[in-house]
Parts: sequence; C-alpha cells; structure tokens
Amino acid sequence: MNNFSYSRATSVQNAVQRASTDKNAMFIAGGTNLVDRLKVFLDEPSQLIDVSRLEMKQLEPLASGGLRIGSLVTNTALADAPEVRRNYPMLARAILSGASQQIRNVATVGGNILQRTRCPYYYDTAFPCNKREPDSGCPALTGINRTHALLGASDQCVAVHPSDMCVALAALDAVVEVTGPKGKRQIPFGDFHRLPGNTPERDTNLEPEELITAILLPPLPFAKSGVYLKLRDRASYAFALISVAAAVDLAEEQIKDVRLAIGGVAHKPWRSQEAEQFLIGKAANAATFEEAAKIALQSAKPLAHNRFKVELAKRAIKRSLMLSAAGGVV
Amino acid sequence: MSKVMGAVNRKDGRAKVTGNATYAAEHQIPGLLHGYLVTASIGSGQIKSIDTSQAEKAKGVVAVFTHKNPPKIFKPSNNFISSKIYEARLPLSDAQVHYGGQIIGLVVADTFEQAKHAAHLVKVEYETQSPLTEFQKATFKEAPPFMGEELKFEKGNVATVNNAAVKIEATYTTTTELNAPMEPHAIIAQWQGADALTIYEPTQWVMGSQRTYAELFGLPAERVRIITPYLGGGFGSKAMPWPHGILCAAVARHLQRPVKVVLSRRQMTVNAGHRSETEQTIGLAAAADGKLMAIAHDVKSSTSPVDTFTEPCTRVTPVMYSAPNLRYAQELAIMNVGTPTFMRAPGENPGMWALESAMDELAWSLKLDPVELRLRNQTQEHQHQNLPFSAKHFTDCLKVGAERFGWKDRSRQVRSLLRDGQLVGWGMAGATFPALQGVATVKVRLLPDSTVHVLTAGNDMGTGAYTMVAGVAAETLGVSVEKVRVEMGDSQLPDGGMAGGSMMTASLAPAVIKACQDVLKSADCNDATDAWAALRQSGRAAFEATATSAPPEGEKKWAFQSWGAHFCEVTVDEEIGRLQITRWLSVMDIGRVMNAKTAASQVRGGVIMGIGQALMEECLLDPNIGYPVVYDLATYHFPSHADIPRIDVVFVGEPDLNFNLAGARGVGEIGITGVSAVIANAVYHATGKRIRSLPLTPEKLMADFRALTADETRDAQEMKELIASNKSHERVAGHSQNV
Repeated sequence: MNNFSYSRATSVQNAVQRASTDKNAMFIAGGTNLVDRLKVFLDEPSQLIDVSRLEMKQLEPLASGGLRIGSLVTNTALADAPEVRRNYPMLARAILSGASQQIRNVATVGGNILQRTRCPYYYDTAFPCNKREPDSGCPALTGINRTHALLGASDQCVAVHPSDMCVALAALDAVVEVTGPKGKRQIPFGDFHRLPGNTPERDTNLEPEELITAILLPPLPFAKSGVYLKLRDRASYAFALISVAAAVDLAEEQIKDVRLAIGGVAHKPWRSQEAEQFLIGKAANAATFEEAAKIALQSAKPLAHNRFKVELAKRAIKRSLMLSAAGGVV
Repeated sequence: MSKVMGAVNRKDGRAKVTGNATYAAEHQIPGLLHGYLVTASIGSGQIKSIDTSQAEKAKGVVAVFTHKNPPKIFKPSNNFISSKIYEARLPLSDAQVHYGGQIIGLVVADTFEQAKHAAHLVKVEYETQSPLTEFQKATFKEAPPFMGEELKFEKGNVATVNNAAVKIEATYTTTTELNAPMEPHAIIAQWQGADALTIYEPTQWVMGSQRTYAELFGLPAERVRIITPYLGGGFGSKAMPWPHGILCAAVARHLQRPVKVVLSRRQMTVNAGHRSETEQTIGLAAAADGKLMAIAHDVKSSTSPVDTFTEPCTRVTPVMYSAPNLRYAQELAIMNVGTPTFMRAPGENPGMWALESAMDELAWSLKLDPVELRLRNQTQEHQHQNLPFSAKHFTDCLKVGAERFGWKDRSRQVRSLLRDGQLVGWGMAGATFPALQGVATVKVRLLPDSTVHVLTAGNDMGTGAYTMVAGVAAETLGVSVEKVRVEMGDSQLPDGGMAGGSMMTASLAPAVIKACQDVLKSADCNDATDAWAALRQSGRAAFEATATSAPPEGEKKWAFQSWGAHFCEVTVDEEIGRLQITRWLSVMDIGRVMNAKTAASQVRGGVIMGIGQALMEECLLDPNIGYPVVYDLATYHFPSHADIPRIDVVFVGEPDLNFNLAGARGVGEIGITGVSAVIANAVYHATGKRIRSLPLTPEKLMADFRALTADETRDAQEMKELIASNKSHERVAGHSQNV
C-alpha cells in the first residue's frame, strides 16, 4: 500500500471539486472493496476523500411513485426497507444473497455499484492482466476460467461483474444520479457499466471526478412478483456462478410485460432485452420460458471450463420466470 | 477408571472468546521488526536478476534478504527423531524456482505496512520454464515408504480371482485441498545474544520444533525456547518449521533484533502445505452373498520438487474389510507445486472416499444393504500387520447408526424419494483412523492453596487438550475441575509429545493419571483433600510428581484402530445442480471418551471439514503460470454455516485398556474420514448418478449435462490462435509480489 492522504469531504460540491483537481484521488465510503484493493496494490491513490458522512443516506419516495435511494444507504438498510421488500422484493433478495451480514452493514449502495470485477488473475499482481496493466495479456482466457464470462466478453478480458444488487437494479431500470464539476447528470443503469472491449481497465462510464449521489427506481407494479435466484458453490458468502432477476406481468395467462437480467455471465449485469421482446404477448408456460432462455444465451461464447454456465443460466432463467409467473417468492 | 467422563466446558473457552488468549503473532515484543516475504511469480525456472535497490531505499526498511545474501542456516538432519522440517530445501539457498509462490526473499522493516510495501518494490527477472501443474501430465513412479511404512502389499493373488459373482472397478479423484487454519501461519523470533533463541510460533509439536530450530542454528536444544500456549488450528500444517519460520529466525539472528513474519492468506495457498490431488482405482470382487474375494487399491498422488510427501491412501485398505486376496500400491509424481503435507486424516480421508464409494457401488450391484455388506466383511485383524484389533466395535457403529437413523425404512431404489420437488437420498459409509500414542511427560503439583497445577509442553491446538488434562487430573485426584490449573505449550515444561496423528489424548492422559497417582502416593494420601491438609501441615511448598507415558513396549499383540459410521440425507435440485445436506448422524468408537462435549466437537469439526472436501474445496492452479487462482477465504471455499445441517454424534464402544491406562484412542481425525463417500453415496441414491470426482460442484450435479472438454467448447483453431496471441504466457519479469 502506498502512502496517501485522507480527508473528509464537507459537501458533495466540496468532494467533486477536490476530486477534479487531483486525478489520482479516490472517494471512499464503506470501503469494503476499496480497502481490500489498496492492500493488494490494485489501487494506489494519492488521496482518499471520505464521503461517508455526507447527507446521502435517505430513502425517499419519488413523485412518480418510485424510490430515490441515497448513495450512502447501506446494503443492509436498503434490503430491510419495507418499501423495498414490498415493491421490489427481487432487490431485497439480491442484496441479502450477497457478501455477509458484516459487509452489508457497512457497504453502501454507491460502493456496491462501483465494486470492481473479482477475477483472480486481476486480484494478484503476480499475474498479467489487461485490466490492471493494459496489453499485458489475459491469462484467464487459457487458464482457469470456470467462473468467467459467457456474454459480451472480449479477448482482452473475460471477467464478470460480481454484484448481486446490480442484477436486480438492471432488471428494474434503475437510473444512476451523479454529480460532477458540470453539475448533475443521470445515467440509465444499462449504460452505467461497460463491456470490456479494448478498454478492460474501465468498468463504468462514471468520470473520475463524478460522485454517485443517488439511485432512482422507477415505479414498476409487477416487480412485486419479481424473484432473484442465485446459484453458487456454497450456500452463503460466494459470488454467483449464475444469478437471475426476473419479473413477469401477466394478464389472462398472457405475458404483458417482463424484466430479465442475468448475473455471473458478463462484465456488467446482463439485461436480456431480446428475451424480453420475445416473451411479450406470449403465453406464460414452460416452453415459452425455455425458448426465452435460449434466446438470452444465444450469443454465449463459453471458455474451456465454463460451458456448464450456459446450460445453468438457461435453467435458472426458466426457473425464475416460472416462479415469478406463479406470483414470486419473497 | 472405565467410566465415561461427562461433558466439561472448555478451560480455555473464556480466554478465547474474550480475546485474552494470546496467539503467536499477538505477542508484544519491544523493538520488534516486521518481515514480509517476496515470492516467485513463475511456476518454474531461475531467477536471472533480482533488484532490491528500490526496496532498500523505501521508508522504514532495515534489510532485504535474497538468495544473494542469505542468512546463515545449518542443514538439519531432517528426520523425525532429531529434527524435521517440512521442506528439505532451505529458504533462499539458490536461484532456482521450483513452484509458483516459492519464497525468494524477505524484506524487514519497522512496520508491517512498510515491509509489505517494500516487498512489492523488489523487481525480479526470470528464466522461465513451463511449469508442470497438471496431474494428468505428470510422470508417476513407485512411491517410497511413508514414515517407514511400505505403501505396497499383496496377500493372496488378486489377479487369479475369476469366480466372483460381482466385480467392480472404478477410479475416484480428489483435488488439491488447503489446510486453511483460521490462525494464519506466523512466527516471532527473538534472540538473546548469538546463542539463545525464543520463538513464538503456532506449532503442534513444541519439543520437535525446539530440537529442529536448535539444529538449524547450531545450538544445543536447551538454548531454544518455543512458546505456543494457543494455536488456532493446524490440521497437520503446523507440526514443523516451514521455510518462512526458518528464514525469520535466521534473519532475527543476523540483525540481532526480534522479527515477526505472518503469512498472508495468499501465501498460505502455497507455503503452508496442502493435501495433494489423488487418483485412486479400486477393484472389488465379491461372491453372491457379498463376501469379498478381492480388494485392489492403486493410488496416485503428487509432491513438490523440494520434498517428498505421499498421501498414504492405502493405509485404510488392510484394516477395513477382510478379503483373501488383497493388493495395494502407490505412485508418486513430482510437480511444480508447493510441498504437500499432513492434512487431517492424511491418507485415511481420501482412501476412505474411494473405498467407501466403491463399497456402495458393490452393494448396489449385489442388491445388498450397504450396512449389511460392511457387517459381513469386517476384519478382526489388521491384514498387513497380522495383528488382531483391540476393542473393535465397528458393528455397534453400524447397527446403532442404522437404528437411530431409521435406515431400515429407506427406499431401495434410486430416484425414488421426492420432497418439495427435490430428489432426496440417503447414504452411509464407514470411518476409521489408527490409534497412535507418543511419549509424554507431565508434572503435577499439589499446592497449599488447595489447587492443582499440571504442567506439560504438549499443547492444545484448539481440540480441548487443556480441558482433557484438567478433567483427568480432577478425576484421579478426586477434586473438582475448577481446582486444576493447566499450563501447556512451552518447551521449558516437560516434553508432552506432538498434537498430531490424533494422539495427544492417548499420550497425555496416561501420564496425567500416573503423575496424579504418584503425587498422592508421595503424600501418602488417598485424595487431594487429605494431601492438601498434609501439605499445609508439613509447611512444604508443594507435593509434586512427574510421570511419563509411552506406547506399549515389547512384542506387539494388538493393532489399535478407531471406527465409525456416518449416515446422511441430501436433497438435490438436479435441474440447477443444487445440493443441500439435511440430516447427519455419526456414530464413533474411539475407546474411552474423555470429554463428551469436546469429543463430539472434534467429530463435528471433522464432518464439516469433510463436507467442504465433498462439496466445494478445490485449490485450482493456473496450468500455464503455475500458481493458485484462489487467494483468500472468499475464493477458497469451505463450508459456511448455511451449508451445514445439525450433526448428531453418538459414541459407542468401551475403554481400550490394551492401548493405555486411560483407554482413550483419540478423536481428532476420524470424523472427517468417510464423509465425502457418504455424501456421494446419498447423491447416487437421490439421483442415480455416481460421481467419482470431488468436489461435487453444480456442474456435476446438473441432470442431463456433461461438462465438455476444452476442445469441444471453442473452435480448436480459434483456441490455438488465442494461446498464440496471449502475451500472458511470455511474462518473465515484473513484480514478484503475491500478496
């Protein structure tokens, strides 16, 4: 770990202003990912700007009927909020299936969104890694890649986004509200995280001096029957091999609307609009859901050890859609 | 002495939960320096150049050691009698890199953070060779004897058995598993001048470490003091010095300052032992009534280029089941991996995975109850040693287990039980571990304040030895356990043997009994209350006695072995490959149970560790770079609470008084044996799918799915191009640091 200075921001403007005068500064809130990363030399900031005491801890109803989640709301507080449990159960379940109680108690919503990919090759500086050291190569491609990406990867990087919460946020069409030197802007969730392409070092489209101030959840009545299914190597404290956030809006056994996002398959939470388009207007049954699952994975490009995830993802999608169509479970 | 002791709470429990138990790395030493290891980032090759200039200039750095300026270390005799180190190659002895993560330097600084930061600044250039880390590509040769015991044997002639009703042959595999104790490996070395050394290190073998460190530094043993009052788990990986410990002590002498080295979890994946991958082929031949006619067991395991350790899986073959024709053999390969070592039930654990899976396959082939198959094939003698077993109650384990689990009500067909849409399966398997005993000495002092003080260098690695010693002393002296104070884990105390091979109880308990009896004799009293009165009257400081236990001498009459049976229920959601263990029962015959509470804890701990092996533990190595891709307790999976069902433990049997005065055979390791097999057997009952490779991960449990090989996944040509274009294989220089 290098030496860095530490100070507390006095306001959002103050934080942004200070970040924009030092391109090696980093914001810190819960620190559950960043502190680990500092310890293993993945980040070497010149200064840490502590934003954890700023006034961004509110959960407020939006005039539209949705929810505004301050970026410093902890994962635990968000999962426990009655309006989340009631209106967006997939979000509560996604959060509670991630990390551990201790981590969720300090991890913030903004930090969760910004956590970096957890590819083991990225995490150890002894390995080459294009994400860490551009153009040094990707050993995961020809090494151990059981947990790696199926969709949207490049030959530069096959890491997957680790967050459970983000899979639900992708399905729910969340919007990320950020403040930068030029003021506020809103980024639709689907545009927030990036695919690796030729710039695997960039995980998101957030500019370095921008600070996440809130997540906006639009109203979505049928999200009440939403589900989050997470499949992993142990029953707790493990990243998803495959996860699915799904919600089906039924009218007379016909699918009126649907949301489908998959975790553990790509460099970003993977929303499958093709599968959603296919499902709208169809009868809600196993055959339809199976077909939708196929569509969702049709461009999958498995590696040596992760082929099972293609099949597992299809089965998880079908299972999740079936569960949601049956009313969901909380 | 034959009555089973009750459930006694841990003597050390309060100290541990309140943080008052001081572990090795927590000792506060004035002037302490901190060392951080520099480790190799290639799997095989030579160090071409190593540049420490930046590290040396970094703030707080006191010294940097590499193979170019190694501190003085004497070559030890390296055998179990005089001195023993885990890795025969001494640290920093040359420029060769034998495995990824090998120690190639040590940075010493004023603070831990400074040392770690400077270690990251060391730049290394390598001459890289392609590492061999894939078991399938290794060259196997006949394994040498394991601790003096031949790993090959034949009686009768397996090859000539041709009138069997049923024959089965199958191959079972296990992966590289890490001991992964909760307390990381750590050491503080403090010299008093050039010829006296104090070491704070978690060691399972205090006196062995004392002798070994003494040899390494050319000192008489009594000039070295080892202090290990508490140890946070070792599972076999903390019995002897590892290279980091040797290096730390050597550097502390060179600098004449106390130095501490703590391994990171990352470093523990290669520098603190592991259980080797194994591949075992079992052949069984049986008559129609289930009587075994032949057992054949062939084993492959691997070791590092710098020491030889064979996972002795075949130790279970001659003890479990009787067969007129029985053969076993082991092969070993050298790979570019860290040095494997003892890990809870070395040999017995993977051996029982294979044997007890094969027995289940045989039972299904014969359409015979697997409990009955085992009852019919028990052996009353050790078929290699030709000695009868003493106090063997395997039958009770099987019968009591079957009765309590409700085994007779099981379904006789696979895929025949459904609950909430999930398949349900029941499985059972046997468990076994040999009873070992070492030489141990204990001093007992009766004090005028009506307390008892028991002292021994033998230590408690978290198993409950403090409590066991206090309980035995209390019982022998006729006082309450609260009156007994136990001091352990310091080489200045009488030699208490090794906390390994499940033998601490068998070694210590007889010595405690004898010392207590002697102290009463010397006071000429029948119990401690009288002795205390006599002591106060005499005005003496204490009545004391020292006694030593030893394994039975003379011609061997018995083979000593513990036995058990596990039963479990699993549910499998086979569409998505999700398994949950829903019931567990273990029935154990371990001779006399010294403390019902801690003994049951040992069995539960073993079962939980076995569940890890069965379902998730796997230290995968990158095949091209040759280094593990797991780096902490989040990436090396072992069970979370949510993976573990309630575990019922029942003890059967009787004190094994042929073995020792206490009748106790030990219980640390038997719990893990057979666990993987029970689970795989239950999965077979649930799904009809026989899985012979561990761990049972979702892709193996998914119905109608076969994991394809690399060639079948991406187009072969595309894959070749990928490899050709992949710069990551060419890496020869850069940071050396694996944090």
